[in-house]
Amino acid sequence: MSVAEIQETEEGYAGHAAEERRRLEKTWAFSSGFFGWFMEVSHTALGRRYIATAMILFLLGGIEALLMRIQLARPENGFLDPDLYNEIFTTHGSTMMFLFAVPVFQGLAIYLVPLMLGTRNTAFPRLNALSYWLFVIGALLLYGGFFLNTGPDAGWFAYVPLSGPEYSPGKRVDVWAQMITFSELSSLAASVNIIATVFKHRAPGMSLNRIPLFVWAMLVTAVMVVFAMPAVMLASTLLAMDRLVDTHFFNIAEGGDPLLFQHLFWFFGHPEVYIIFIPALGVVSAITATFSRRQVFGYMAMVLSLVATGFIGFGLWVHHMFATGLPQLGQSFFTAASMMIAIPSGTQIFCWLATLWSGRLRLNTPLYFVFGFVAIFVLGGLTGIMLASVPLDLQVHDTFFVVAHLHYVLIGGAIFPLFGGLHFWFPKMTGRMLSERLGKLGFWLLFIGFNLTFFPMHKLGLEGMPRRVYTYLPETGWGDLNLLATAGGVVLGLGVLTFLINVAVSLRSGEVAGADPWEGETLEWAIPSPPPPYNFLHLPTVSGRSPLWENWEEQPVVTGVESHRREVLVTASLDAEPDHRDILPGPTIWPFVLALGVGVTFIVAIFTPWGVPIGAVPCAIALVAWFWPRGDMGRYELKEKS
Amino acid sequence: MRERPELDVSDLPTVAFGARASIWWGVVGLMAIEGTMFAIMFASYFYLRGNAAEWPPTGAFHPGLGLTTANLAILLVSMIPMHFAAKAAHREDLAGIRRGLIVATVLCVAVLVIRAIVLSRLTYRWDSHAYGSLIWTTAGFHTLHVITGLLENLLFIALLIKGPVEDKHLVDVRVNTLYWYFVALSWVPFYVIFFLDPGLLDLSY
Repeated sequence: MSVAEIQETEEGYAGHAAEERRRLEKTWAFSSGFFGWFMEVSHTALGRRYIATAMILFLLGGIEALLMRIQLARPENGFLDPDLYNEIFTTHGSTMMFLFAVPVFQGLAIYLVPLMLGTRNTAFPRLNALSYWLFVIGALLLYGGFFLNTGPDAGWFAYVPLSGPEYSPGKRVDVWAQMITFSELSSLAASVNIIATVFKHRAPGMSLNRIPLFVWAMLVTAVMVVFAMPAVMLASTLLAMDRLVDTHFFNIAEGGDPLLFQHLFWFFGHPEVYIIFIPALGVVSAITATFSRRQVFGYMAMVLSLVATGFIGFGLWVHHMFATGLPQLGQSFFTAASMMIAIPSGTQIFCWLATLWSGRLRLNTPLYFVFGFVAIFVLGGLTGIMLASVPLDLQVHDTFFVVAHLHYVLIGGAIFPLFGGLHFWFPKMTGRMLSERLGKLGFWLLFIGFNLTFFPMHKLGLEGMPRRVYTYLPETGWGDLNLLATAGGVVLGLGVLTFLINVAVSLRSGEVAGADPWEGETLEWAIPSPPPPYNFLHLPTVSGRSPLWENWEEQPVVTGVESHRREVLVTASLDAEPDHRDILPGPTIWPFVLALGVGVTFIVAIFTPWGVPIGAVPCAIALVAWFWPRGDMGRYELKEKS
Repeated sequence: MRERPELDVSDLPTVAFGARASIWWGVVGLMAIEGTMFAIMFASYFYLRGNAAEWPPTGAFHPGLGLTTANLAILLVSMIPMHFAAKAAHREDLAGIRRGLIVATVLCVAVLVIRAIVLSRLTYRWDSHAYGSLIWTTAGFHTLHVITGLLENLLFIALLIKGPVEDKHLVDVRVNTLYWYFVALSWVPFYVIFFLDPGLLDLSY
């Protein structure tokens, strides 16, 4: 072929590409206008919204934490009264666990998983919209209650009998119970969506052993959600029923058992820790690979560790209940399982260290957060191993030692990777770079502030300071360390503020990022930043684990996917062989209406059991309208056979 | 980055049945969630039973082994017309789908009627004791599923009569059948613990 002919073909291809781009832009356009905002089904738009909403809740939870720190800064402080203090620590815990940590990573997954898999949307776009709206309504319920002085006040776990009808009259705990059921419904919907997307919507050639580690992490998390969240939904539903229609599940006088609540709660509650932590591992792997400029060492070991963590995570729940007088044999089993979890966690830490060791490091802000993660998480892991042993656990149970441990694990294990991930993917989501200087400043403020806040709590706990007390006496001698922790909290707050300033400034005047500012490994970097509504001009094909590093000259692509309707390619679940073409639905109001219907059901049910039949009506209408074909998907219509 | 066409998929179909379809994974996910929910309720039953001095509590009369068994039997039989509806979906036989769904819906109504009689015969309520809470909540939760299944069938029948029926609805009929199997079979363990066990093993009760 002569040079001229290639030129001609390339020009021809360019013309075809321009035409294709125009058609795709029309077909996949984002919804616009006021009502369009409630109809959006694009995974990038919903993912961004998910993350933004969860970050607002993070700020609210953080403000609550600072209020608690101010109250505890000196002995016998009168800044918050005991009742408000109870509401604030309950709202802080519930917000951070249910409305921030889980949704923020689900938002990240909703945004990134389809991009990394090389497809145009999640498998069920309208379900995505439903989970987002349920999440928003759950958050409004909690904070609506809080500002109407009906905020829950029995702890984020709401143990019976304290949370039962006898000791918590009024509606406060009902708000908690309904909010839980709500937000878990949202997480479950998002998880099923992620599972189906990962198994069915991968780029051709992306067999299971080529899935990016980030996607593996999100998949394992989603499977854990499916098996863990029903337990807490049941716990919160039974609690609400005990309170509202006088059932006796947790009433020992009528044959119920308060410990049943603890079992149900922690059967969810422990996997929940991993539901928060495993996505963060995925983020760490993505950052480590990109900034070491090599694939993560030990892919197979990493994947098996993730899966093993997912399984072992279900065998640990009783270690939260060592103080309830369980049989010795049971305690030993759960001690062993709790120690065993260190094996897959350790494997991953060593794999990352090997990656960093043998890579050519590029010391940008995201990698700083990974270093911060390793340092803090290892400390949290070590106190975890200490707590796994029953005698020590009994000694420090319900003290600040546990508060220190759980914040080392969750902030070190999840928030640091999250901030790293936000710095890493911010250019992809917005098209602009975050400032490196502010980023690093923010990192150091967060790192120093975090350790100043939480390290002293280890010592306070060992000295016997109990959790969830609104004040303490001067004679205890806990004043100095508490003051130090409060000062650390302020530094931590400044770190978050620095991040917010960085985001605000960069959104307006940050350096333009381009498609691939970090020379990334996975498919999200192959497309413009921010991604167009259809993501990929032509769906990519994949021939290895690092598609962008392997096909850096030209991207092999799929043709024959129609662009006049929302068509995507569905591939086989194991080897990702092309299987069929699916047509996805466009923008619609019905998921929003359904979320409202569910909201009516749950909120009215706090006041009368009639809420269930009343709410069922709008729900049923919304579901029928959701299902009923509008003939606008470009599908083939069937005719009656005579 | 330049693109190089490598794979043409324009010949591939736009629908597929079974595990090939995304919606199958969605419905299996739903079944896994609800199956976990049922399993945990089942476990809760034994947790409370293990601590109880008296189980079931005195004065809890059996609503009738024959009636409860008949109820389960009809529920299980309703899987057969659903199976034929699914078969018809594979053949694109709209009339066949309709027939299967109508028969299943009639059986479903029968199940609900008998379930109502069974519950009305119980001598205790959900607020009498923990045993009552368990049986009413489980039965209520499962009945809700049967009602949902009934409404889904009616929706499909309406769609088949009124149209437009699109190719993907065949897959929907198929996964709807799968879900119905799940609803029918998930009652078996609860039938065993609530009705068969006390009915057979403890005749004085």
